[in-house]
Amino acid sequence: MNRPRSQQIVYWSLVILTLLTLSAPTFVVLGASFTSGNIIQFPPDGFSLKWYAAIIGEQNLRDAFGRSLIVATICVLVSLPTGTLAGIALSKFRIRGANAIQIYLLLPFTIPLIGSGIGLMLAFGDAGILGNLWPIGIATAVINLPFMIWAVSSSAVGLDPDLELAAQSCGAGPVQTFFSVTLPAVAPGVITGSLLMFILSLNEFLVSLLLVDARIVTLPVQIYNSIRSIITPDLAAVSVVFIVVAMLAIAALDKLVGLEIFLKSK
Amino acid sequence: MNTHSIPAVSASNVEMQFPGLLAVKDANFELDNGRFLTILGPSGSGKTTLLRMIAGFLKPTRGEIFIKGKEVSAVAPNKRSVGMVFQKLALFPHMTAAQNVAFPLKMRRFDAKKIPARVSEFLNLVRLDGLEDRRMNELSGGQQQRVAIARALVFEPDLLLLDEPLAALDRKLREEMQLEFRRIQKELGVTTINVTHDQREALVVSDQIIVMDHGEIQQDASPTQMYRTPHNPFVANFIGVTNLFVGQLAAVSGEAVDVTIGALTLSGILRSSPETAVLGAQVRCAVRAEQIRISAALDALGELDAAFQGTVKDVIFEGERLLYELSIPELGDDPVRIFHHDQNDFATHDVGETVHIGWMNRDMHIFVAP
Ligand SMILES: Nc1ncnc2c1ncn2[C@@H]1O[C@H](COP(=O)(O)OP(=O)(O)O)[C@@H](O)[C@H]1O
Ligand SMILES: [Mg+2]
Repeated sequence: MNRPRSQQIVYWSLVILTLLTLSAPTFVVLGASFTSGNIIQFPPDGFSLKWYAAIIGEQNLRDAFGRSLIVATICVLVSLPTGTLAGIALSKFRIRGANAIQIYLLLPFTIPLIGSGIGLMLAFGDAGILGNLWPIGIATAVINLPFMIWAVSSSAVGLDPDLELAAQSCGAGPVQTFFSVTLPAVAPGVITGSLLMFILSLNEFLVSLLLVDARIVTLPVQIYNSIRSIITPDLAAVSVVFIVVAMLAIAALDKLVGLEIFLKSK
Repeated sequence: MNTHSIPAVSASNVEMQFPGLLAVKDANFELDNGRFLTILGPSGSGKTTLLRMIAGFLKPTRGEIFIKGKEVSAVAPNKRSVGMVFQKLALFPHMTAAQNVAFPLKMRRFDAKKIPARVSEFLNLVRLDGLEDRRMNELSGGQQQRVAIARALVFEPDLLLLDEPLAALDRKLREEMQLEFRRIQKELGVTTINVTHDQREALVVSDQIIVMDHGEIQQDASPTQMYRTPHNPFVANFIGVTNLFVGQLAAVSGEAVDVTIGALTLSGILRSSPETAVLGAQVRCAVRAEQIRISAALDALGELDAAFQGTVKDVIFEGERLLYELSIPELGDDPVRIFHHDQNDFATHDVGETVHIGWMNRDMHIFVAP
């Protein structure tokens, strides 16, 4: 690219400004987590790992983290088959009531989570299953399912319908065709969607708050409980743990399907 | 029953009605074992639809299709012994060349121990040795064609279907692959139905050609028959470059007929059925561009049956031949197109020059307008 120098300066300033704005919260919380003082602050007061030691030592946090992992796993187990099938069906067939489905897919942006949360709380309460962890996993799957469906259908639109016909002319029945041709073709979407669901479920606060009781608090709720008393640097350390989990997920994504595919998927 | 008399494929009154569109109308044909049939027609004429009904991906709305004498409407595509090469190939992108070729063998429950040998035998047949571990995006267009044909043939189907797989290739590679398909087909003796809109390909590779237009079979004949005795103006025009003149039937004696075109009376061969040949009927007269001779001197055309004088409007150099466009007022307003091959005579006639042209009566095909 041969742009005039002045244009290049403007261009690069914009890029750097954007990167700084996007990453600033991460750097601030990262810095704050390494403070050696007792107040959460940035720039940090000295350097130490004592707040990391503190969160590892804290039984409540560890348990809450474990429960959040269970919830996120259940969420993926529920949304992976349903979201995959729905995503493929949505892009492959002209379905009656497609409009209603489109509206459902916009729900995460139109209905406030507090609304869905209260609805789920009432439903689960009636069913008498509140107080268990698995309904929370199902709840986070239900409210975030559109993200899974989007991820899958965006890779399914690129699927050549002849591919499935080719499998049939090779002698594959419907089930064999699905597992040997359709599923591998949408795999990038399935993997992307699953990791997204995992992170969304891990971070889900509001709906969890409505569905947990004191015995089964998840990590975001646990953090909220601590904020209500006093904000200490261990929260920054916990946030960093969240960030690390998310980065691990992205690294896994890159390894499994390549980030280019993820970034290119429309 | 004598098995030789059972055609490999036959269609009887086959019709495909899409909502608001009759894509295939009343198709009837037979194809003998081991033969190479090409379905030729312009884009949208229903070729793919017909092929997909034979493969089993579409159910005819009327009529029956028989494969080896067995009516197949109730047989699912994966239960038919039909290999297919798709227009866009539809190779499995997540598999290597060898895995693509092994796939039909696995699905059709071949003896697992024999699969590797069979796969390399077929990769060898299509000349892809050494590339078995490549993925599809690591192969060239021509190599992908070869994988697709190996995948379609590896399970030794009763029938091979080719849906314009060569259309996307450049001309040189396409002509090379046409001959390659023909070689492989001859080597295995597999009954083949090929679909194309390329008339040259149809003439080169086929034993039998079916020309389609607007969902209807226009003619079903061997390449030479199709070329020499077209059944209607569409076929005459679609195969080769043909000049069409409008006239009226003036005299009929068997196949030989006289027609009047404007003030002229010319003779030709009747290609429509005799019962339609009523005197005074409107006719279309077809003469192929390569069957017209051109010369500056009228004497040189002495042995021809019909001769005219005209003016050169355009000369187009096509490499191995020249295309002349002439204005011949006696024959109507459309330019008359002529191919000229004589090397010594190249560009003898310039634009604006007055020339003489002529043809033999047997080369003018007369069709009664429906
Ligand atoms: N599934 C379908 N539904 C409706 N119309 C179709 C369908 N498939 C093909 N057609 C129409 O049928 C006609 C013939 O199509 P096709 O068989 O693909 O032609 P060709 O292969 O000769 O180009 C076209 O007008 C096409 O638009
Ligand atoms: Mg087609």
